[in-house]
Amino acid sequence: MASVKKKICLLGSFAVGKTSLIERFVYDRFDEKYLTTIGVKISQKALPPIQVPNSGQMIQHTFLIWDIAALEKFDSAVMNYFRGAAGALVVADLTRPETIGHINEVCDRFKSISPDAIVVVLGNKLDIFKKDKKTLTALKTTAADYETDLILTSAKTGEQVEQAFMNLSQKIGCPQ
Amino acid sequence: MSDALEQLLAYKNLGTVIFNEQFNIVEADKRAHEIFVSIGPRLSKGNLLDFFPELIGSEDFLNQIIQQKKSDFHLEFINRSTGDERSTYFNLLVLPDKQPNHGLLILEDATDQALAAQGLNQQRYELYLYKCDPEFRKQFLSESILGNSEAIQLVRETIQKLSRFPSATVLLMGETGSGKNLAARVLHYSSMSADAPFVEINCAALPEHLIESELFGYEKGAFTHAVTAKRGLLEEAQGGTLFLDEIGEMPLSMQAKLLNALETKQFRRLGSTKSIEADIRVIAASNRNLQNEVEEKRFREDLFYRLNVVSMTMPPLRELGADIMIISEYLLKLFNVEFKKDVRGFTEDARHILLGYSWPGNVRELSNCLERAMIFTDQDTLDASALIISGTQARPGKHQTHQWTVPPGGIVLEDVERQLILSALEQSDHNKSKAARLLGLTRDTLRYRLDKYQLS
Repeated sequence: MASVKKKICLLGSFAVGKTSLIERFVYDRFDEKYLTTIGVKISQKALPPIQVPNSGQMIQHTFLIWDIAALEKFDSAVMNYFRGAAGALVVADLTRPETIGHINEVCDRFKSISPDAIVVVLGNKLDIFKKDKKTLTALKTTAADYETDLILTSAKTGEQVEQAFMNLSQKIGCPQ
Repeated sequence: MSDALEQLLAYKNLGTVIFNEQFNIVEADKRAHEIFVSIGPRLSKGNLLDFFPELIGSEDFLNQIIQQKKSDFHLEFINRSTGDERSTYFNLLVLPDKQPNHGLLILEDATDQALAAQGLNQQRYELYLYKCDPEFRKQFLSESILGNSEAIQLVRETIQKLSRFPSATVLLMGETGSGKNLAARVLHYSSMSADAPFVEINCAALPEHLIESELFGYEKGAFTHAVTAKRGLLEEAQGGTLFLDEIGEMPLSMQAKLLNALETKQFRRLGSTKSIEADIRVIAASNRNLQNEVEEKRFREDLFYRLNVVSMTMPPLRELGADIMIISEYLLKLFNVEFKKDVRGFTEDARHILLGYSWPGNVRELSNCLERAMIFTDQDTLDASALIISGTQARPGKHQTHQWTVPPGGIVLEDVERQLILSALEQSDHNKSKAARLLGLTRDTLRYRLDKYQLS
């Protein structure tokens, strides 16, 4: 079985829950306290093996997960955060519709540096989401723009968090 | 590397690592080792990517730098903090080295810069979220009630539940200085939008003849000096909360008028015949036992029951155990800022006193005690001698003198010491910090002695 390390980025506005999603996925823990991220922190986690659809080959991804601070500028240092990434989870806060509008900007910047990378759109804080149709429609439209999936997650309860990372792993697929 | 560059790097306290095109480390200078020792295993001649996984994925780009086709690659504020609350950040820059097919990685400890930036962003984002995100506001406010004890957790849970019912009247009880005012504010801001008014009236501070006009307002000409109309506090609180502090001090005549306004949800300004709808939540607070006050006929029974829809009692400080130190450390930070000092904590003696005193004036008394100590201290930790409680200088238990006598047959001093350590461990359920406090030792000294007597 092939074992491959892949760099993936967590992107999105501040306080959408990027760090919490990583904490839940990698360490299975959650902290209510909001602590803003500065720069970048890398965590590592091996995912369950997956079968590549066409070849039937089994591979195991080890994700190097880049927790990247919400970025207001787009300079060469930021470009280097994105460089070499195989994928990104782009996160919006379901309770703050303005964070959905930010996804396009972040995705476009990311794609300009890593054009072949896969993105998956996440709507986080599902546990406190009041199922607002307008928000869901906006998120679905955004995900469709990038021809990808929308997954609703809750870092607090853990709902759909592993599935989000597994979905990205499936989409990234075979080793380059 | 040129001599000038080497001098510049040394001057700027930057570490350097030279690597070849297979990304194997060829050489790392002393400063690089020093910086790296705080973020990972000791730098050695291995693969660069094993030490800097931040470079994985960028190998092609780095190869272009080595071959001088690209000028540089840099990453800022790489967080290598570990779980032990110590933060470590560094910046890295990769340049082509003067040796062909070699790269130069420059390493900078950026912890101070990163923490400063983090502090600024934290404040900026918190302010934004506080205004715009009710869930964040609830969480943020909940954390402003400090402590981890069961009593404090119960207070937080109760406020959390009450915040879902923004029209419910709440009666807050508890000793003076126990945080009723804070609880009222947290409850208000957790329940309502950020711009809903919170209007506070201290019923003990207003003269009896002014309470009515302050509460209900008045029309022009309602009484001799009413030259203009004035909105009362009930009107000011429309759409928000009216906090009636020290409600037990309200005169009986006024209690009847307040009860009427609460019952009918309407009131009239003095001198007016027009009723005004009262769209307000009332939170009342008292440090008196209102039930007793009712029995003594000093408080109206009907008003008591009207206010006592939901009641919550704030726990006194003496019942909060280790939370006293959490609150003390928080106050220390505030006074450090206020007095431009850098006091970093408390000595063991001081902690012993803070935890052992009964604090009849609760947090207010604790705050005053620490403020006084911070004004006068010149030390970088607060000692017991700086704490003046109830007008007397605090003396830790270990300074109390006991008459010890040696029996005629003599003793082995080390045996006595060993016995005392065992006794302290037993009393503290083998909690070393508590045992150290009982013995008047630091935790490190106790650990040394446990090793010495092979008790660890």
